[in-house]
Parts: sequence; structure tokens; C-alpha cells
Amino acid sequence: MPTLSTQVLVIGGGATGLGIAWDAALRGLKVILLEQGDLAQGTSGRYHGLLHSGGRYVTSDPHSARDCARENAILRRIIPAAIEDTGGLFVSTPADPPQFADRWLEACGRCNVPAQEITPAQALRREPMLNPRISRAFYVNDASLNSFHLLHALTESVRSSGCQVLLWHQVVALLIARQAVVGARVRPLAQGEEFSILADVVVNATGPWTAAVAALAGLHIPLTLGKGTLIAMASRVVNTVINRCKPPSDGDIIVPVDTVNVLGTTDVPVSSPEQRSIEPWEIDLLLAEGEILIPSLSQYRPLRAWAGIRPLYRPQEVEAINNRSITRGHIILDHAENDSLGGLISVFGGKLTTFRLMAEQTVDLICRRLGIRSPSLTAETPLQPGHRRHYSLPARLTSIESARATGHPDLLCECEVVSKGEVLTALQGGDVAELADLMRDLRLGMGPCQGTFCAYRAAAVLAEVGAGAQTPQQALHAFASERSRGLSPLAWGTTLRQMALQHRVYVDLLHAEVTD
Amino acid sequence: MKHLIVVGAGLTGLFAAALAAARGARVTLVARGRGSLALSHGCIDLWATKSPSRSIRRLRHPHPYALAGGFPRLQSALADFIYLLDRQGIEYHGAPSRNHRLITALGTAHLTALAPFSLAAGDLNRAEPIVVAGFEGFFDFSPHLVASGLQRQGADIQDCLTLPLIELPPGRERFATDLARLFETPEWRRELARSWKPRLTGVRHLALPAVLGLEHNFIVWQELQDLLALTISEIPTLPPSLPGIRLERALRRSLSSAGVQIIEGSRAVGRVDGRSGGQLVSGVVLQTAGGPRLIAADAVILATGGVLNGGLVFHEDGRVQESVFDLPVAHDDDRTRWLGSDPFGSHPYALFGLHVDQHMRPLGANAKPAFENLFAAGSLLAGADRSREGSRQGIDLATAHCAVEAALA
Repeated sequence: MPTLSTQVLVIGGGATGLGIAWDAALRGLKVILLEQGDLAQGTSGRYHGLLHSGGRYVTSDPHSARDCARENAILRRIIPAAIEDTGGLFVSTPADPPQFADRWLEACGRCNVPAQEITPAQALRREPMLNPRISRAFYVNDASLNSFHLLHALTESVRSSGCQVLLWHQVVALLIARQAVVGARVRPLAQGEEFSILADVVVNATGPWTAAVAALAGLHIPLTLGKGTLIAMASRVVNTVINRCKPPSDGDIIVPVDTVNVLGTTDVPVSSPEQRSIEPWEIDLLLAEGEILIPSLSQYRPLRAWAGIRPLYRPQEVEAINNRSITRGHIILDHAENDSLGGLISVFGGKLTTFRLMAEQTVDLICRRLGIRSPSLTAETPLQPGHRRHYSLPARLTSIESARATGHPDLLCECEVVSKGEVLTALQGGDVAELADLMRDLRLGMGPCQGTFCAYRAAAVLAEVGAGAQTPQQALHAFASERSRGLSPLAWGTTLRQMALQHRVYVDLLHAEVTD
Repeated sequence: MKHLIVVGAGLTGLFAAALAAARGARVTLVARGRGSLALSHGCIDLWATKSPSRSIRRLRHPHPYALAGGFPRLQSALADFIYLLDRQGIEYHGAPSRNHRLITALGTAHLTALAPFSLAAGDLNRAEPIVVAGFEGFFDFSPHLVASGLQRQGADIQDCLTLPLIELPPGRERFATDLARLFETPEWRRELARSWKPRLTGVRHLALPAVLGLEHNFIVWQELQDLLALTISEIPTLPPSLPGIRLERALRRSLSSAGVQIIEGSRAVGRVDGRSGGQLVSGVVLQTAGGPRLIAADAVILATGGVLNGGLVFHEDGRVQESVFDLPVAHDDDRTRWLGSDPFGSHPYALFGLHVDQHMRPLGANAKPAFENLFAAGSLLAGADRSREGSRQGIDLATAHCAVEAALA
């Protein structure tokens, strides 16, 4: 393959990298973006789904709180389709420090984070499953932000402005000439040979892999990694984001996202971005803390658990006691200034809520380096949801009902309402290498049965059209292994029964092979 | 006449109830749900080796087969089972000395000793060229998956095709149970056969998804073979799986003709006979919608199943509870050790369950039977990894047989 060249090469297809590519493309720059996996496979797809009002950070990190409040308003304007305006509550339970609420409300005012006190009775009318013993309640502008939806919209916008987003492409080396990074050597993970991309500026936006990518240029970035574990409950017990009104800590939030409620989160130092295994105490803690907010929580089924890895900046001069006291604000490192190595910028930290701001500031820096004068347009440009509407449940139900009038809707996944037609369209898109990609694209297998029925049917479609590099049997096994990683930490009660059901079907009835 | 309560309506409970009724007992069957026969291939797996009988003869205590009386017990249970099902119109083919090699919906081989006639017709040991066909718009069986799996095993696949279905009412998905009912309509299946015929010239053996009829499976199967002039075999689909449902319905027919009382939908709570000094159970209390209802009996057989069917309840703190009498359950109390690493491999939790004596009486804390007149059978019992051994239905039948004989003794 010949060498490609571009103005901006972005490494990392999370919200940060895609946001940078989008911002740069809007300013007319030529951009190529590389992602080593699928969209939303990294930290951007492994968070709790919260569009921060800023309320969470008013006492611990006022700067981030202000950023969040501003960006919250902007994102609601530019990508309403990815946002469900659930609203949010901060509530003081008997387990929370009673004097904190006033201090918190005062800090909201200082940070321009809108917060309005309501009575506990009003809060309970809004969310009847809440702990009836709450003493204070505040309404804030939290919402749920669907990152899968956002990343797909960003990708389509980048592509439609003529720039490239290459999934399943890994950077194996950075090309360096005359004290500057001038490009990267790239390995396609699906098929094909290594090739090079030359670029005026290379942006390292690889989240927890930031230090590893910088190390390709011989640079050291003092980064620590924090693992955050989350649990999705199989139903929406609450329809408003619920926060504990106390200083940020483990298990302080419940977010309604699509068909589930997400309990978050823990914060455990880890040494590698791959270290996402979940420990039993994290699960016990999240469920116990969740029960303080919703006393009947243990009667609901935990659907699955997952963990995301946050990159946290820890330069030596910061005397940090624990991960939570390290800044959640974002860092834009111009290595020309920091390490006398031109052509490379590393961007990390921050939150999904502030991805646009990070992108704007990064591309401002790129433009200064390239001597281009062009302002960011992202705050005013609506992000189109794109031709593939990613799992908006009402839209799907409507289309299924109209299909029923004339024939058969051909549903493969009943839990998440995914039809065979949608699977075929996704396969034609070309970015599907395994069943898990269909899951991230279409929500196939994400519902209560966790792929027990639809995995077989989707593997059948792969077999029928001859898609994917794996045999259908391997694809099924890989998908079951992926699903089981999220179920195993919750393997008791009804979740274990669900796993036993799947085992009964695939092992006793279908005699699926263990390994190949 | 002895009065026996059987708790559970899966294969174990239905068979135990039918057997006890046939031996003259008064039987009440109580069940909270439906059991898991609709998830089943409807065959009787004994042991997944070339010769199940030889493998089972080698087993020792505390394997449930050995406790229930070894191979002789299994033979009696199978004889009773075959007789029962034959009377309900389902002929089971095979013998414990040699397994059939049947085809699964993934194209893998399923080793089983006894199979209903229409499944046994597809035995791969016959080594004749097979055409696998699915139905348009029916996703719970894929001829492509079957063919790709079979090719990897070196089976003789002649072709793989998708046959059209005719005049289906619009408005819903095509489910196995709907199709099975349609196939019971004589005009519909005859017209269907006519439309298929031109596409099947030169085909000698046609393997179809197992949806050929519900109650009248034999007639449907025979008539289609005659109309198309070829051998037809059925391959079980994703659940709901008709061969399992047919077995369930046949056993239920046999229960109603034997006058067994069936009470469904209520949770049963065990009741100890206070006058017996804790030696005997007196029956169960059903938690019905109208309030608790006591059913007294001379003996109780638990056939409530394992984790899947709710006989065992696994808790976050590592406890595993037996759901009716809260009997001691052999288990590991560290929940992180319940699962194996491969989702399709074996899991340690499969071995958890009740320890029983040779009369299938669950053991109490002191390794003595917890009660003189309480028995357990099927997946509730400890000591067998049924999925790995390929022994699930064999253990169900043998332990049910043993429990019934002990309870009526």
C-alpha cells in the first residue's frame, strides 16, 4: 500500500479523537483518524452515560464544573438526538454528611451550575423508588448522553467532509525526522500490509494508551490509570439521574440510559489499559451504595457489569493522596514545548461531557502550529445523527409495526428490536469483523437475554452471506465469551439463571464447541 | 392407597408422577413453572461416549447413576419410559449400548441413546448424503450453520437450501410452535409439499427443522415423506424446541389419563410433621393467590431442578439454598469459584446440589436422611456435570424411578 499523507493524523477513535477530527475537518483541514478497535470499544463506550451538569465537581474541581455546565448546554444544542433529557437530582440520604448540602449548593452558584432545591416529597413524586428518608433534594441539568450514538454521528460527520476514519488500524511506530514526529507506521488488524501515513501534525488521543503511544516517540508521560466499574440493572428503576449529595466517591450515581439503569462507579488504580477485570468487592459496593439511593434495588436483576479505564495525569509535583483527588480536567501536551519534539500533541483526561471543548482547544493549537487562522465551528454546527440511526427504540418499534402490517418484520433480536435487514445493512457498511461489532452498532445481544437467542440468528446471517474472518462457530464462541465477561461478576440469582439458560441452549441443545 | 406429592413439572417430575400413578399411587403434581422441556432436544442422553452402558457401569458413588442403582436401574427406567411414550404415540428409537449421532442446529454431533423416530431418522451413522433445508423467514434454524458445521465433521452434505412457506398470515414472526400447528393442517402441508416437490428432485434424505407437527407429529412426518418420496429427519431448533414440547405434552396426557391432580403456578413450601419429632414431612403448603393451601401426603418427591429451574437458589453472599425444604446443599461458598473460564465449557456450579442416600432421600447435616419420607431426583442432585457427561435425561429418569420405588415401598 502506498504512503498516505495528510495535514492532521489523529490516533484514537474515542470521543476525544473523533471530536478533534470533526473540529479540524470543519475548519477545512485534511484529517485521517486511526482507531485500533471498533467505535466505542474503549473508555468512551465504557462509561456511565452521564451528560454532567457539573454538579458532581463543584466542590472538588470547580474548573471542571464550569466546563461541564457550559458544554452541557452546547451539546444539548448540537446533538439532541444522542441526549435523553432525564434531568438529575442530588439527594441527601441519611448516610450523607448533612452539612454538605448547603456547602454544595453555594458552590453550584459560584460555578454557574444551575441547581434548584425541591422538597423531598417533590423528589419522591418524581422518583417513587427513591429512599423515602432523603432530607434534601436538588434538581440539576444532568442528562444521559449515549456515547455510541455520539461516536457514530462524529464518524459520519468526519467521513462526509471527505476525511478518513480507519477502524481496526493500529499504530506500530511513530516516524521521526529532524526532531519532529512526521507520521506513523500503521498495521491494519483485519487484513492487508503495513503502511505509512505522513502528517504535519500527529495527535495522540488514545486515552489510557496515551503513555504507550508517546513511548513510541521515546517520550514519558506521567499517567496513572484508574479503573471504573459500572453495573447495568436490567430495568429503569428511576428515570432521572440520581446523585448522592456528598463529596465524589465510589458508587455515588445512578444513570438511566436507554432501557437500563447504570450504577457507577468505582476507582481502582491499575497498571495497564487491558486490566479491566472486575473484583467482587466492587460489585458488592456498587449494589450496596445503590441500595442507599433505592432501597428495593436488590429485587431487580443486575444485567451486566463492565469497567472503563480513565487516564489521569500525575506529574511529580502533584502530591496526590488518591486517584479521586487528581484532576479530572483535561491536559493538552504540546511535546514541542515539553520535550522539544515537534509535530506531536497528546490530549487526555477530561470527561465525555467536555470532549468538544478539548477538541476545540487542541485544534486551536494545531492551527497555531500550522499558521492557519480559522475559528472552531463545533459549538454552532449541529451534528447530524447520520443515515444509520443507532438504536432509538421508539423509531425501531414504529418501523417494526409498519412492517407487521404487510408481512414479517424479520426480527433477529427481540430484546433490542433488531431486524435482519439492519444486520445486513451493518454488514454492508464493512466495519463488521465479529458479532460484538453488530452488538456495538445495533445493540444486538445487549438486552435481557444477553445474546441467547439472537447470537445464533446473527451467526446464521454471517454464514449465509459469508461475512467475517471467523467460522460461524468461532464467532458464536467469541461472542458468548464477550457477553460472559460482563455477566460473570454478577453470577448469582437471576443473572446466574440467565447464564444457565444460555448454557443449556448452546451446550446441551446445540453442542457448541468449546474452542477451535 | 399411598398419596404422593411430586414437586416440579420437568422431565423428572412428569416421569415420576406418571410412574407412580401407573404403580397405583394417588399422585398430586405441584409446579411453580413449566420445567425446561421446551429447551430440550426431546432425546434421552445417557452418556456421551460410544457405548453409554459401558461408561455408566463403571460409575461409583456418589454419582447419581450409581446411587440410584447403577445400570440395572437405568434399564428399568428406560423400559418404563419407552412404554409410557409409546402409549402416547411417540416411538423412541435406540438402546443404551450404542449412541445415535444426531445433527444439531449448529451442525455439530449430538450423541444420544434414545431419540424420537423423526430425529433418529437423521442418525449420521447411516452415512447417506443429506440435503439440509430451512424455511424462509424462520431464523431459529439455519441450514447454512448446519452445513458449515457438518462439513467440518466430514459429513456428506449434498446441498443446503431455504424452502419457501406458503400463505402465512402477516403480523408476527415465524415461531417454531406456530409452524408446528400449521403443519398439522392437512391441506396446508399438502399444498406445501406440492410446491417443494420440483426443488427436491434427486434428494433422498431431507433434514428439516423440527417443527413438523405438535400432537400429530407422526402423521405429518409420514405424509410428507410419502408426498415427497424421500426420507425426512428432523433437527431440533432454537427454543421453543418441538421435540421437547411433544415429550412434555405426551407425559402430561399420560398424567391426565391416569387421574393425576396437577396444581400449577404456586410456590411450594415444605412442611414437617410436628408429631414425628422431625422425622417425617407431612406435605407442602402452596402459596396460592388465594392464600396458603396445605396439601398433606405420605411422601414428597422433589423434582424442582437446579439453578435454571429454581430448585437451587444462588445468593450474592455465597449461600446456595434448596427452595422447598431449605435442605443442606453441597456447594462452594465463594461465588467467584462458581464459574469456569469458558462459557461453553464446564462450570463448577453444575456439581452443586443435594447429597442423597440410595433411596434418593436428601441427607441432613449428620449425613443421615433429613426425613424418612422425603425424596429428590433429577437436576437437584449433586455430583454430576450433566452437560459435560451428556447424561442429563438419563439421570432424570433413573433417579426419578429410584425415588418413586422408594417412596411407594
